[in-house]
Amino acid sequence: MGDLTTEVLVIGSGAGGAVTAAALAEAGRTVTVVEEGPWVDPDEHEPFSLAEMVAKYRHRGAGAALGNPPIAYAEGRCVGGSTEINSGLYHRLPEHLAQEWRTTYGIDEFSPEVLDAYADRVESQLSVARLPGAPPPSSAVLERGATKLGWRNVEFARVFSYDEAGRGTKQTMSRTMLPRARAAGATILPDCRVVDLVTRGDRVVAARCRRTHPGGGVERLTIHADHVFVCCGAVHTPALLQRSGIRRNVGNGLKMHPTIKVAARFPHPVDHGDVPMHRVTEFSPFIAIGGSASRRGQVAMALADTGQPIDEAMADWENISTYYAAIRSEGSGRVVAVPGLRSPVVTYSLTEADLSRLARGLVHLGELLLAAGAIELHPSVTGGRVVRRLDELGTWWDQVTRSRANLMTVHLTSSLRMGEDRRRTGTDSFGRVWGFRNLRVNDASLLPDAPGVNPQAAIMAIATRNCDHFLADA
Amino acid sequence: MLWFEREVVGALTTTTDQSIRSSVEAFVDGSLRDWPEHLRLGVAAESVLLGTWAAVRRALGRLPAGDPAALRQQLDRWEHSPIGPVRSYVRAMKSLVIMAEHDMLAKGAV
Repeated sequence: MGDLTTEVLVIGSGAGGAVTAAALAEAGRTVTVVEEGPWVDPDEHEPFSLAEMVAKYRHRGAGAALGNPPIAYAEGRCVGGSTEINSGLYHRLPEHLAQEWRTTYGIDEFSPEVLDAYADRVESQLSVARLPGAPPPSSAVLERGATKLGWRNVEFARVFSYDEAGRGTKQTMSRTMLPRARAAGATILPDCRVVDLVTRGDRVVAARCRRTHPGGGVERLTIHADHVFVCCGAVHTPALLQRSGIRRNVGNGLKMHPTIKVAARFPHPVDHGDVPMHRVTEFSPFIAIGGSASRRGQVAMALADTGQPIDEAMADWENISTYYAAIRSEGSGRVVAVPGLRSPVVTYSLTEADLSRLARGLVHLGELLLAAGAIELHPSVTGGRVVRRLDELGTWWDQVTRSRANLMTVHLTSSLRMGEDRRRTGTDSFGRVWGFRNLRVNDASLLPDAPGVNPQAAIMAIATRNCDHFLADA
Repeated sequence: MLWFEREVVGALTTTTDQSIRSSVEAFVDGSLRDWPEHLRLGVAAESVLLGTWAAVRRALGRLPAGDPAALRQQLDRWEHSPIGPVRSYVRAMKSLVIMAEHDMLAKGAV
């Protein structure tokens, strides 16, 4: 059994944790980062491949929020967290949400101007850029369909850097913030799971960990810290706090972007190596339309969602790509750490309005893809009609039911909201957990709601803001 | 992996390439081990129940023994079952198998 002492302990190394570690280490603090997952060379696996899922995803990508219907979700579990596995799309928090959240939850220093200033700083530290040159065919499909229909669409910037030949490299946390933190003296411990936090009165005094060594041996490690930042994401941050006996407004109100998909077949080949960077914003903020990873395995899985044979379509798989409609949901969920279980139980309840919105999103997605030249659409609905013409799309309205819709998400938020309204929040306006002087949360859990766009930019800006507040306060 | 799960994986895998079949089975086995305990427990319980049901049907001569195509048809029926967990069971197993098999086929080598 080992003991370690640090000034600041950061638990988790994703978008929230890595930003926290870099900001505090560069401010001269002694920082230790612990990450449950392994360190994986970011160039070792092809993006969205099976090998990457095994190496970098929690549960190999097989998380599920229980409910009717259950909703599959995926999270990263490696140094760099979900930034290592996502598409890198970057979108600042919409201004109207910052204003709405500030008012509803009583969040101090949360004006759009303040958040924009922090976003500026994050963007100066990362490379946020649009694709140089023409978009790939899978992305151009979205632009073409939207333009034909007169719908708003946009090419999103991504956290990518491009070389002179236009080759992009995703600026994951393992390539950016974590090396910065390390250069400023931070220590990063991979394969180190925090079992619980040791509290004394209004302070956390230590974290009890289990560290797995390369040979497979497991070491018990106690890390003593003056300040603790929990940044394990919207599922595992509340679970860790609950395991540590901290339960007030912790794990309630989980939000996500439930997503329904279509596998679209075109009369020409589409690319499969990247995720489309165009998004259709015509129905924002309630419905977003975009493209998904479409390697052969993902195309096959999407086709199989109808429950019909896939052999004929798979013979033409190079002409097929997958697209989605994601909604801002009225429903909510819970994260519950069950004693004796390593993984928390996650639940989510969709409302009838959510289902209706998903059906609407699916139909709009179908309209868009047909307008873009798709010749066959396979919805992620068991028994869902394979559509070839516009007049067939109407059948989808009635097919998106609780028993037939196959839903997933990659955005989970809001399980420990921030703000000064103590009845509704788990932390103050800057992530400090109510009732504790030295325990802070700094990740997607803090967002009061799912933002309707990829939350990485909002997480990073808010984490930077909270670090500034900590440095001024501590 | 339980006996019925192995049978389901075998029935859902379409390639005749034995090395890919073995790799798919190994991937599904690893995935099930890696799942959250409560999900794994639920799937294991369903495997026992559905496997027993299939065994009884075979004993009565209503489901051909050693016939992957017959089991695949049964799985197709379960995928449309009115019982949610039964539908989820089939969808989960199908997703694992199909994703793994086609990713491996794309690579052309295992």
